[in-house]
Amino acid sequence: MMSKGLVDKILVYVDGTEGCIAAAQFGIALAKRTGAELIALYVVNVSLLEELTKARIFVKIEEMDYEQDLEQDGRRYLNYIAQLAQNKGQDLRTELSKGVVNKQVVEKIHAWDIDLLIMGELEPVLSRSDTYHDEAELIFRKAKCSVLVVKDLERMERLYETLE
Amino acid sequence: MKLSGLLSEETITVQLTHTDKQGIIEELLDLAMKTGKIQDRAAALKAVLDREALMSTGLEKGVAVPHAKTPVAEDLVMALGISKEGLDFQSADGKASHLFFFLLAPETAAGPNVKVLAQIARLTSDAGFCEELKTSESPEHVLETIRSAE
Repeated sequence: MMSKGLVDKILVYVDGTEGCIAAAQFGIALAKRTGAELIALYVVNVSLLEELTKARIFVKIEEMDYEQDLEQDGRRYLNYIAQLAQNKGQDLRTELSKGVVNKQVVEKIHAWDIDLLIMGELEPVLSRSDTYHDEAELIFRKAKCSVLVVKDLERMERLYETLE
Repeated sequence: MKLSGLLSEETITVQLTHTDKQGIIEELLDLAMKTGKIQDRAAALKAVLDREALMSTGLEKGVAVPHAKTPVAEDLVMALGISKEGLDFQSADGKASHLFFFLLAPETAAGPNVKVLAQIARLTSDAGFCEELKTSESPEHVLETIRSAE
């Protein structure tokens, strides 16, 4: 597909952290300035729930209960971000999907022809096993498009507030 | 998600004194109460016992993860109990349980709760890590062992 501008389609990865709100604020600002299409995606990590059931820590009914909780959380975050965009007159599409988080995000980047992924700051490496299991880290490494990691939360807040 | 960040020396015991399931859970709950983040002991106990009634959280290889979500937990709260001799916790493999990871979570913290449980599952899949915890002589050593594994 022929690119029309600097950035045509922006995807904001939403994971419920403060960082993802800053990422959304930056995405809104960038979309307003470039005219790019803006999409926010939250993925319910059902693979982790299945892992816990397989390990017998969860029973099936508990897995289903937590899946519902995570889905509700995701919808709440997406609604909040949609409101942020609406407040600034920016169109934004929200999507909620389920599965292995990093795989879902990478697949959507390809399927939607995304050319810029914006995400919040990565967690400091908390443990050796986190390096292999942290979804944000995996997305950062596996994404086929350019990735912009938003770091300065206060600056993003100010940037967002000054948007007209 | 760091388990060592949720634990402290006062929420760890290297010698559980109770031998029955409810006694073990109450002992762990009393350790967790020291965080000051559980508003109602009776409600928290009921939540954990209700969860145990669905299926024992006694897993395989000497590990048990009694847990529940409850509105009386203000935040994620964790305690760790160890029994060198091993206790009957109706485990999946029928063997004695030695390591008891106790976790209470508020109903609004599904994401972090799931991550902590997954981290427990990952760390305890290492037999060397479990053995080191099982033979620990002090809460301080337990914390050091967890920190170095994380």
